[in-house]
Amino acid sequence: MALAYTDYYEVLGVPRDADQDAIRRAYRKLARKYHPDLNSDSDAEDRFKALGEAHEVLSDPDKRERYDRLGANWRQQEQDAPDANFEEFFDRQGFGSDDARVEFSDDLFERLFGGGAGGGSGWRRSDGPLRGLDREALLELSLEDALEGGRRKLTLEHREIDVNFPAGVRDGQLIRLAGQGAPGRDGGPPGDLYLRIALKPHPHFRPRGNDDLDVDLPVAPWEAALGATVPVQTPTGTAQVRVPPGSSSGRRLRLRGRGLPRSQGGSGDLHAIVKITVPKQLSDRERELYEQLAESSPREATG
Amino acid sequence: MNDEQPVELTVVAQRAGVRITVVRRYLEFGLFEPHPEPAEAPRYDPSSAARIARAERLRRDLGLNFAGAVLVCELLDRIRELEAQA
Repeated sequence: MALAYTDYYEVLGVPRDADQDAIRRAYRKLARKYHPDLNSDSDAEDRFKALGEAHEVLSDPDKRERYDRLGANWRQQEQDAPDANFEEFFDRQGFGSDDARVEFSDDLFERLFGGGAGGGSGWRRSDGPLRGLDREALLELSLEDALEGGRRKLTLEHREIDVNFPAGVRDGQLIRLAGQGAPGRDGGPPGDLYLRIALKPHPHFRPRGNDDLDVDLPVAPWEAALGATVPVQTPTGTAQVRVPPGSSSGRRLRLRGRGLPRSQGGSGDLHAIVKITVPKQLSDRERELYEQLAESSPREATG
Repeated sequence: MNDEQPVELTVVAQRAGVRITVVRRYLEFGLFEPHPEPAEAPRYDPSSAARIARAERLRRDLGLNFAGAVLVCELLDRIRELEAQA
């Protein structure tokens, strides 16, 4: 996650059990102190932004409750929560496209300071051109696309933009597209667009930690017992994996470097998890052999 | 102060990113003045837009009314002048 954890109570300088009045008082007092038009310190703008965000969250009982419960992830949870009208909303907005769903996030600052048509953008101290707001949109990708990299055409606010995403992007990663945010004012530069990558669930591969992937490895009972070399699906194609003799279901076989690429170079691992699969239908010959096996193999040996 | 030609009130509003009614309110409170140069319609210094944008930020962020925002802007200007003299 690109967003660092901010303790909103600390930002406002109030105890965690502060009531709504105390939160409002603290916010108003500090807002006057750190408003960038009133305070020329270089960090005033950042502090003022942090104040606005803290107030936005703590003054809303629902958001505050979620923040108290989930901490840094409170917003993530909010986005994960399925909304009945989610798809419909974005379809109506014309954001949808084949495999890249685009969403304008609830930009706290926009609601606080942008306020629709009449709102100024940003609060640069200089009485000159105003930079446009930053925007955030969601880009949903399959695992294969994320590994390969590529391009998408997105429709945002009635304009079409081409987006290139590099190979190896991660779930939750932010890609900055400079100058693709909201337009500036008074000749000011436009804001930036941040694309948040969301990986779609994959039918076979399950993410494990940062760079590793899990995949099920179906093997026949005799392969598990005697050992075998069997094909396994990897994100980039098929590989062969050696199943050691006497492997039970759940055994992890590690394929080094077959996971997700790491940003610092190299790749994570693929874990093939043995899943003994018994044929549904047995031939007469097979049934005979299993019966022989049952007779010659004492129950305790399976322990 | 500004090399740009005086502009009409609608242009000021557009550049400040606010509705024309808001610009008129600030005009009533004397945040900025019509340009002294005679013209068919009243014209305004383009720097008025930045003054309005600043007043709007203060009004919105600090919960001020128009009179309060204009007063703060005037005090800020005076502080700057005094600081420049010091």
